[in-house]
Amino acid sequence: MPSVIPKLSNFIGLFILIFVVLWAASPRIQAQTPSDALMMKKSEMCVATFYQHDTWDEYWEGTLLRNNLNIGTLTRTNIMPMLAYGITDKLNVFISLPYISTSASGGQMAGVSGFQDFSVFAKYKIINLEKTSGSFQTFGTVGYSLPATSYLSDYMPLNLGLGTNELSARVIIKYEHKSGLYLRGSFAYLYRTTTEAERDFYYADKGIYTSTMDVPNTTTVDGALGAWLFDRSIQLEVGAVKNTAQSGDDIRRQNAPQPTNKMDMTHLNAGIRFFPKFLKGFSIIAGYTQVVAGRNVGKSTILTGGLTYQFSTKKQKAQ
Amino acid sequence: MKTLKYTIFLITLLTIIFVSCSKDYPTGSEFAPYSFSGIDQNGGNWKPILLTSSEQIVIDAPMSTTSDTYKAEFEAMKSMIVNGEDQEAVAYWGNNPIIRWNEIARDLAAKYNLTPAPNADGTYPSPNAANPNIYPYFPFAHPPYACRAFAYLSTAQLDGMIAAWHYKYKYNRPAVYITDKTIQAAYPTNDIPSYPSDGAVIAAVSRDILSSLFPLEKQFLKEKADEMNRTLLAARIHVESDIVAGDSLGRGIAKIFLKRASTDGMSKAQVSKKVSDSLRAEALARFGWEWSNQESPQRPVGIAPLYGKLKLWSVPNVESVRPLPPPAPGSAEFNKAADELRSYEGNLTNEQRRIANWWSDGLGTYTPPGHWNRFATDNIIKYKMNPLRSARVYAYLNMAIQDAGISCWDAKYYYHYPRPIQVMNGFKTILGTPNFPAYTSGHSTFSAAAATLLSHIFPAEKTQFDKMAHEASESRIYGGIHFRFDCEAGLESGTKVGEFTIQKAIADGAK
Repeated sequence: MPSVIPKLSNFIGLFILIFVVLWAASPRIQAQTPSDALMMKKSEMCVATFYQHDTWDEYWEGTLLRNNLNIGTLTRTNIMPMLAYGITDKLNVFISLPYISTSASGGQMAGVSGFQDFSVFAKYKIINLEKTSGSFQTFGTVGYSLPATSYLSDYMPLNLGLGTNELSARVIIKYEHKSGLYLRGSFAYLYRTTTEAERDFYYADKGIYTSTMDVPNTTTVDGALGAWLFDRSIQLEVGAVKNTAQSGDDIRRQNAPQPTNKMDMTHLNAGIRFFPKFLKGFSIIAGYTQVVAGRNVGKSTILTGGLTYQFSTKKQKAQ
Repeated sequence: MKTLKYTIFLITLLTIIFVSCSKDYPTGSEFAPYSFSGIDQNGGNWKPILLTSSEQIVIDAPMSTTSDTYKAEFEAMKSMIVNGEDQEAVAYWGNNPIIRWNEIARDLAAKYNLTPAPNADGTYPSPNAANPNIYPYFPFAHPPYACRAFAYLSTAQLDGMIAAWHYKYKYNRPAVYITDKTIQAAYPTNDIPSYPSDGAVIAAVSRDILSSLFPLEKQFLKEKADEMNRTLLAARIHVESDIVAGDSLGRGIAKIFLKRASTDGMSKAQVSKKVSDSLRAEALARFGWEWSNQESPQRPVGIAPLYGKLKLWSVPNVESVRPLPPPAPGSAEFNKAADELRSYEGNLTNEQRRIANWWSDGLGTYTPPGHWNRFATDNIIKYKMNPLRSARVYAYLNMAIQDAGISCWDAKYYYHYPRPIQVMNGFKTILGTPNFPAYTSGHSTFSAAAATLLSHIFPAEKTQFDKMAHEASESRIYGGIHFRFDCEAGLESGTKVGEFTIQKAIADGAK
């Protein structure tokens, strides 16, 4: 379809302009991100944006699942532009900055909107074994994020984020059969610095006389089963993720949550990614996430949509 | 592979930085043992709060320091093995342990300051003093409950210190480090006679008062008092009989204060829905407005509607400090105040948001009265006060604060004035709206009374205290939970309450 391409170039220019201004990503996004097993080649660039719509009307107060009519349904939307670049075939980097809005349908507490955390990730392909029967790969990623604005983390559950600097390290392994079926697993450790509240006393199993709050470090384990279909134009994936905080206190009965809480969460995901043949370099993503177990977190249902565009920053050599 | 090496190096480096960041946070004031700025040898003559005389609780004369019994006690103290745990306890309690008991009271307030969760059918359970360990646990330490607890703790401590000082100078038993110059006390020494131990009085009074007000903490408080009493030996400042006499005096004093507490009106402060509705109907008939709780499900009764009828410490009657009525909703003055709140809605500066949060002292915290006890503590340490002087600061501060609470609650349920979220359509706040009427602001009343009283005791700090009281008051407007007139009236009546308390303080003979 060569005739389409000239018309598209204007659109692509606009597209890049928008996303260079607003790039973002989320750990939950399953599309050529720090947590997946896809790599770009040297000098390739990917601009993407994702939209998430996260709602819950029940949450775990400690281990007790409950509703709260003074919150009603909590809605969190997330616009997540992202930019990724292949430094080498084996090393990709990502940067992102999400814009989040929160609101509660019940009660009188005001929602908030704003930019959350700026993050940088690097993904390195450690092992790559390819045989005719399939391939085996392992990757390592390291990421760092920090708050981009002075949002208040101690405004849960309407807060934009946890207000910490976070260092994450992740190992990913993947096996793909020649049929296109694949299995992927990963383990990550998220180190978090403290966050600053705007009060200098809080109770976390005892009275604490400082505005500094410890935010628990967290481990993440995830597993996914996926398939490439129709000449790799469609990727389907289902998976499960378990986040476990390594410390922290529980929300006390009928009290508000705070960043010191032990926030655990298990969620199930299903996603589809479509690479349209008529739009070279583009992909469209749709995903569904359901939190099925947790502690001190909302029982979220998350819908994700995304659009990515990948291109080479070098001029194509004649084939 | 070079990149991989760099990556591993970076991960290792950042891991070390992150792990080394975790640390212990302060759980109270950090202070080193200090030399007292004065010893108040005439303190036994100060006028007590409830005691009819310094000898109302009888403490027998101690045995002579030359007696065999004393010598045996002395040897036991001297040869006591001080382990690492003892050393930690000596460092924690310090030489002015009343500070730690004040912190313990603040912790208990924060622990118990939780509002009952609704039942599945939308009704609400209530804490029951007769069955404290059934959810919702007794007590719900909301600001009126907490400030009353601080007041009983502190006034009983003061009377305990006055009586202790009286007996100390009556019997004049020298401290162990004076009897035997080879004794190395853990704290700076002084000439205050040692019998009875003022520390043991504080431990006993605090344990017994707090155990009564927070019954589920009885065992915890006993352990705290036992630990503290042991430090009096471990720090080499007392012998056993000093502590036994102090404990006995403290127990007797606590009983006198708990008797007042049992008849001060607190047991009738939380009322039935029927009584609550009649208060609402009365306000509606008298003023044409009413307050009602805006939570879902709606709480049928506000916090402590009849708290305004509690026995006052220094104010002659609540009517003497009751403010004039607030402007009616819809009036020009009301609209001006509502417009001000609208102007802040979703539009606060970072500094205004910080002020709202810094003073919020809401559910799950030590409440505004706890916050002012913290400021008092900072100044007790700054001015190196002895235990008797410290007790006097806490006692008058907390009498002022509870009287402020009582008069504020009188105004709240007399005027029964609605909160902004009730009368301003769609209005959103950044702080939770408390479960009691708006007029007058509790923060403003508590803070003005506290600042007025503390300025009398620490005149050099007056500017700072006044600034803090005004900021505490203003914080409620930024938070969207009070109209400016709620706050201004609260500051005014709180100041009046503080002045009544000062009159009482001036008359106690301490100056």
